[in-house]
Amino acid sequence: MKERIREVLSNLLKVKPEELKDDVSLQDSIGVDSTEMVETVIALEKAFGKKLSTKEITKFSSISDIEKVIQSKA
Amino acid sequence: MGKQIAVTGIGVVSPSGIGKRQLWANIKSGRPFIKEITRFDASKYPSHIAGQIDELEKYSNISERLLKKIDAFSHMALIASELALQDAGIDIKKEDPNLVGIFLGNALGGWLYAETELRDMYIEGREGVSPYMASAWFPAAPQGQVSIYYGIKGFSKTVVADRASSLMAIGYARKVLSKDKLNMILAGGMEAPVTPYALLCCNTYGSLSTDNAHPQAAYRPFDKKRSGFVIGEGAGIVVMEGLERVRARGANIQALITGYGATCDGIDRINPASDGKELARAIQIALSDAGIGPEGIDYISLDGIAVGLWDSTEVKAIKSVFGSRAKEIPVSCPKSMFGNLLGASGALDMIITISAMENSLIPPTINLDEPAETGLNYIGKEARPHKINKALIISRGRGGINSALVVEKGA
Repeated sequence: MKERIREVLSNLLKVKPEELKDDVSLQDSIGVDSTEMVETVIALEKAFGKKLSTKEITKFSSISDIEKVIQSKA
Repeated sequence: MGKQIAVTGIGVVSPSGIGKRQLWANIKSGRPFIKEITRFDASKYPSHIAGQIDELEKYSNISERLLKKIDAFSHMALIASELALQDAGIDIKKEDPNLVGIFLGNALGGWLYAETELRDMYIEGREGVSPYMASAWFPAAPQGQVSIYYGIKGFSKTVVADRASSLMAIGYARKVLSKDKLNMILAGGMEAPVTPYALLCCNTYGSLSTDNAHPQAAYRPFDKKRSGFVIGEGAGIVVMEGLERVRARGANIQALITGYGATCDGIDRINPASDGKELARAIQIALSDAGIGPEGIDYISLDGIAVGLWDSTEVKAIKSVFGSRAKEIPVSCPKSMFGNLLGASGALDMIITISAMENSLIPPTINLDEPAETGLNYIGKEARPHKINKALIISRGRGGINSALVVEKGA
């Protein structure tokens, strides 16, 4: 699932997949901003077919954190 | 008398070229750049010709990540700002960000972005709209994007005053620098009106030429056969600094901005007053701000939107200020070659005027074959050698906004 999340984010934010590390927050790795986070949540909802809140996925989330949130919605 | 402020760097993105050298090479040769619009099917619009810039991304280092968040007019402003800083030899990272400002003019906002997102909203619902819409479309968006890009933190503004926007922004920038509040300012304007909705609005205004069959001959300021103006897109941004600082860093002074005046007709929503008196007053304010009389001006860059009432009142104002000298001072309207850049038009006029001073050559007004209003020394088809020490630039906006700027030759 991590790879799928990475792919969604790298396509959306136009950054290289290798810039998105599993355990480094999006803020620290690519300096994601709040508007990009809104877009990220919408894209993840579409990709995984689950309703997510912007509170659950913050800019301080890493790929691993996002994976946990999505898995918890199973 | 106001303070003299130096222009030390020029950045320009226009249908006639990217960068001041390419622009000037095309302007001095009188090359026309107005064509049929190819970006979208505009064939049903009454006026479907424009000065366009293709493949903007070829000229920029802006990342894809940023490009998807901004409209074309911000992109143009970013490219023009970078060119201006390079030309001025300024490494912005070494500047105190609190003492750098940015003053830009724009008339319409960024509609290519806005239109696309609004369409998505009506088709896909609210989730179809990019969250960047809010920060991409409005007239001050380029100011914000350039500020963020360079970390500019000083006093800054965006002026929205129709076609006079960018000349006014430059006038304000000079005022702020005169008070020694900032070290330097990026000033100018940008406009991207070649989009389906923006073009519709411009058409609704009713002043565009519909001579679509002859794009290169359509924009005929002051000519008997004039039929209105043609829009163009682009950005013109310059670096402005106080003289002490320029001398201290040994920078090249490309021109001095020495006078500025602005007035309003205040009589109609669309048209200017028919007597040209308020425009004349704006010119007089600019001249007295520069500490010179009508005899001091060697060239006038005309607003010239090729609409009877506007052109005739411009001529009236010039005659009333310059009296018997009106028939001697060379005047021209080079935007006839690439279109009226609306909120960026005054900045382009100033940039072209600075090149004209440097090269002692009056830029031509293409398509001006037989003047409708006589009594001015119009420079028509071909550029004419002429020494220019001091020039006047006139820029006007809908409803009678008048602005005038005096520039002098640099050292």
